[in-house]
Amino acid sequence: MSAVRAALQRRRPRAEGAGAWLAAGCVALSLLLLGALLLLIAVRGLGHFWPASVSLVELDDGRRLAGRAVRELPLPDGEGRERLYFTGNRGLDGQVWHWLPVARIVAESRPRDLVVLERRRWGDFIGRLVAVEPAPDAVAAGAGNGATAWAQLEARLAALERLREARDTLQRETIRPLARRLEADPGDGEARRALAAATARAARLRAAMDETILVLESVDGRRLRQPLDEVLAARRPNALSTWEKLAAWMQGVWRFLSEGPSAANSAGGVWPAIFGTVLMVLVMSLLVTPFGVLAAFYLNEVAHQGRLTRLVRIAVRNLAGVPSIVYGVFGLGVFVYGLGGTLDEWFFSDALPTPTFGTGGLLWASLTLALLTLPVVIVASEEGLARIPDHQREGALALGATRLEMLGRVVLPMAVPAMLTGVILAIARAAGEVVPLMLVGVAKLAPQIPVDGDFPFLHLDRKFMHLGYHIYGAAFHGDDVQAAMPLVFATALLLVLVILVLNLTAIFLRHHVSTRHAAPSRR
Amino acid sequence: MNLPSEAPPSRTRWRHRRDRLATGLIAAGGIGVILAVLAIGVFLVVEVVPALAGGGLAVERLHATLTPLAWGTLKAAFWALLFALPLALGAAMHSALFMSPRLRTRLKPALELMEALPGVVIGFVAGLVLAPWVERHLAVAALLLVTLPLGALLAGALWRWLPVALRRCLPLAWAGLWLVPWLVLLGWGAVALAPPLEGLLFGGDLRAWLDAELGLHYAARNALIVGLAMGFAVLPSVYALAEEALAGVPSGLTEGAQALGATRWQALWRVVLPAAAPGLLAAVMIGAGRAVGETLIVLLASGNTALMSLSPLEGMRSLAASIAIELPEAAPGSPDYHLLLLAALALFAFTFLVNTLAELVRTRLRHRYHRLGGAP
Repeated sequence: MSAVRAALQRRRPRAEGAGAWLAAGCVALSLLLLGALLLLIAVRGLGHFWPASVSLVELDDGRRLAGRAVRELPLPDGEGRERLYFTGNRGLDGQVWHWLPVARIVAESRPRDLVVLERRRWGDFIGRLVAVEPAPDAVAAGAGNGATAWAQLEARLAALERLREARDTLQRETIRPLARRLEADPGDGEARRALAAATARAARLRAAMDETILVLESVDGRRLRQPLDEVLAARRPNALSTWEKLAAWMQGVWRFLSEGPSAANSAGGVWPAIFGTVLMVLVMSLLVTPFGVLAAFYLNEVAHQGRLTRLVRIAVRNLAGVPSIVYGVFGLGVFVYGLGGTLDEWFFSDALPTPTFGTGGLLWASLTLALLTLPVVIVASEEGLARIPDHQREGALALGATRLEMLGRVVLPMAVPAMLTGVILAIARAAGEVVPLMLVGVAKLAPQIPVDGDFPFLHLDRKFMHLGYHIYGAAFHGDDVQAAMPLVFATALLLVLVILVLNLTAIFLRHHVSTRHAAPSRR
Repeated sequence: MNLPSEAPPSRTRWRHRRDRLATGLIAAGGIGVILAVLAIGVFLVVEVVPALAGGGLAVERLHATLTPLAWGTLKAAFWALLFALPLALGAAMHSALFMSPRLRTRLKPALELMEALPGVVIGFVAGLVLAPWVERHLAVAALLLVTLPLGALLAGALWRWLPVALRRCLPLAWAGLWLVPWLVLLGWGAVALAPPLEGLLFGGDLRAWLDAELGLHYAARNALIVGLAMGFAVLPSVYALAEEALAGVPSGLTEGAQALGATRWQALWRVVLPAAAPGLLAAVMIGAGRAVGETLIVLLASGNTALMSLSPLEGMRSLAASIAIELPEAAPGSPDYHLLLLAALALFAFTFLVNTLAELVRTRLRHRYHRLGGAP
C-alpha cells in the first residue's frame, strides 16, 4: 500500500499545499467580482436603450395587456412561474407593472402595429395609434388605418421638431436680447415693437405645436387623446428590423447624453448632470493644480529637510485617507456657513435672508473637492520631484542659474508628467465623489445650468447636478425605483466609464514617466 | 541665453532679487496650502470643544445618540474587513510570491481601477440589485459562500492528477486567471444545486428556517450585504499595501528557506509572513480606516436603521451616514449641529491616528528591509 502511494507521489509534482491554491483562488475571486460588477453595469446600462419587443398578452379571463416582459420568477408557493410586464399607461391604469402567472396566459403575440410613445408626463404609452387629428384633407378622420396614421405621426413629429427648433432660435436670438435691451433702456420704442412682434410669432409657433392631437387606443379598447407636443419619441418596436433597432439604440444613447431629465429624474437624459460634473471638476482642477504643485515644490525643494518636514509630509499623506464626509463637514462649516455667510453680509446684504453664497453652490463644492484631492496632487508631484536626480539640479546651479531658474527650466519640465498624473488621479477621485457634495451644493434637479449668456456667465453660486448624485437620487428617492433602474444603470455606466478612462490615462502617464526618467539620468 | 559674465551687474542683482522673492512666495504659498489642508482638524476641534466644555451638549444625549451610530459603524467595518481581509491578503500573497511577473504587472492596474470605482455605484448595486437577489435566493448565496473557497482547493487537488501536458498549460503562476472560469462553473453548479439542497435541509425555505430555528430575522438590507459591498471597496487598498510589503521582503530570505528544502508555501508562511507582518498590519489598519469612513455604501446598502444588535442579518446606521443625511438640516450652532461635528471629529481622529500609525509602521519596515539587504 505504502509502496503504491510512494510510486504515485513520485510521479506527481511536489504539492504546494492547500494554502497556495486558496491564495490563487482569492485572486480569481477578486477578479471575478470586479468583472461581474462591470459586466452587470455594462449590460444593464446599454440594454436600456435597446427597443425591446412589445407583446400582446391574452389571459384566460379575456383580459388583454400589452407590455414588455421584464423578468420571470417562480411563484412563492412553488407552483408554476409568474412574469413581470412593463405595461406603461400610467394615466389609464394607475400602475405600470403587472405580474402575470404564466399559466394563465392563453396567447401571446407581437403585432406590428403596437406603438410605444415616450411622453413628458405619465411615462410611456403602449397601445395602438388610431388617428392623427386634425387629419389632412386626403384622408378621412378616424379611419382606423394604423399604417397611414403612423406615417402621419412620423411626419408630424418631424414637423414638431422643426417648430421647436424655430421657437428656441427665436427665444435665444431675438426675444432675449430684445428683453435685455428693454431692461437697460425702457423707453426704446423700436425694441418694444420688435419684441411684441417676436412674442406674437412665438405664440403662433406654440399654437401650431399644440394643434396636433393623437387618438390612441389601449389594447383593451380604451381611447385616449394625447397632444403631440407632450410626446418625446414614438416607435413601433415590433416592426423594426435589427438594423433599425440598432439605429434606434444609438439615437437613444445620444438622447440620454444630450437631453435633460424628465418624470422626476426617472427618465430622460443626464446632460445637465454631465455638464455639472465636468464644470465642477474643471473649476476644482483649476484650483488644485497650482496649489498642489506649489505645496509639493515647497516641501521638496525649498523647505529644510528636517523632522518637521517629514512629519508634515506624513500628515499630508494621511489626509488622503480621511473620510470624504469629514471634508464635506469642513466645507459646510467653513466655506458655506463661514466664508459664504460673510460674503453675503458684505456684498449681497440686499438679498438677505435669502442666501447667495451662504448656501451650497458650485464654488464651494469645487473648493471642498480641491481640498479633498490636494493630498493626491501633492503626493504625486512630490514623488515626481523626488525621482529627478540631484545632479540635474546641481548642474543647473553650477552653470550659474538661480534657484528659481533651476526650478522653472530644469526641474519643472521633468516633473510635469508626474504632476499631470496626480491631477488626473485627483480628477478621477473628484468625479466619483458624492458624499461631500451632498453637504456643499449638489442639487437633485437644478433648473438652470451654471453657465449662460447673462453676466457674469459662470454662476459660481448656483447649485448644480452631478452624475453620482443623480444615481443616488434616482435610485433612492424616486417614486418608482423599478422604473428608474435602467436609467440609473446607464448613468452608473457613464460615470464608471469616465473614471476608468481617467485612471487609464493616469496609469499610462505614470508608465511613460518611469520609462522617460531612465533616459536623462544616463545622458 | 546670456552667460552670467556678459550680464550687467544690475541685471544679475535683479535676477537674484527675483529669485529671493519667488522662493519666498513658494515658501509662503506652500506653507499656506499645507496649513489649509491641516486646518480640517483644527476647525473641528475649535467648533466642538467649546460646545462640549460649555455644556451645550448634554452627556446623556450624546450617549443615547452616538452609541448606536458608533456601534453601527464598527459593525459595518467588522463585516467588511471579515470579507475583505482574507481575500486581499490571499491575493497579495499569491501575486507577491507565486504569480508570473507578466500577469502581476497587468493585475495591479486592474485592482487600482477597482479602487477607483465610485462608492455610489457599488452602494447602488449592493442595495438595489444584490440585496433583493440575496433575499430571494438566500440558499444560493449561502452555498456560493461555501463553494467558491472550496472550489479553489478542489482545483488544487484535481490539478495534481491532471496529465502533464495539461498541467503545463495551467501553471500555478497563472492560476489567478484560469481559475476564474472554473469558479464561474462552480458558481453555476451552486445555483443549480441550491434549491434541492434547501428543500432537503431546511424544508424549502432557508429564511423561514432561520427565523424559526435560530430566531434570526432576515432584513433585506443587512450587515452581510454591507460587508460584502464595503469589503469590495476596501479590498484593493489593502491588497496594494500588503502586496508591497510582501514583495519588498528581501529575496535572500525566501531563497535561503527554499535552499533548505522548504516549499514556496512553507517559505512564505514561516519566513516571509513574519518578516512582512508589520506591513500587513499597516495594510489592515488602512483598510479599517477606509471601512469606518465609507459613507454611501453603508447608507445605500444598509437599512439605515439605528439598531444595536449583534445579528449580521439586520441593518445598522453609521456615523458617516448620519452626518451626510442630517447635517444639511441642522441649523449651524444648534446642539444637533455640534453633535454631528463631534461625530465628524471622531471619524477624523480615528482615521488620522490609524493612518499615521500605519505610515510609521511602514517607514520602520522599509528601514528593516534595507538593513536586511533587499530592495528598498
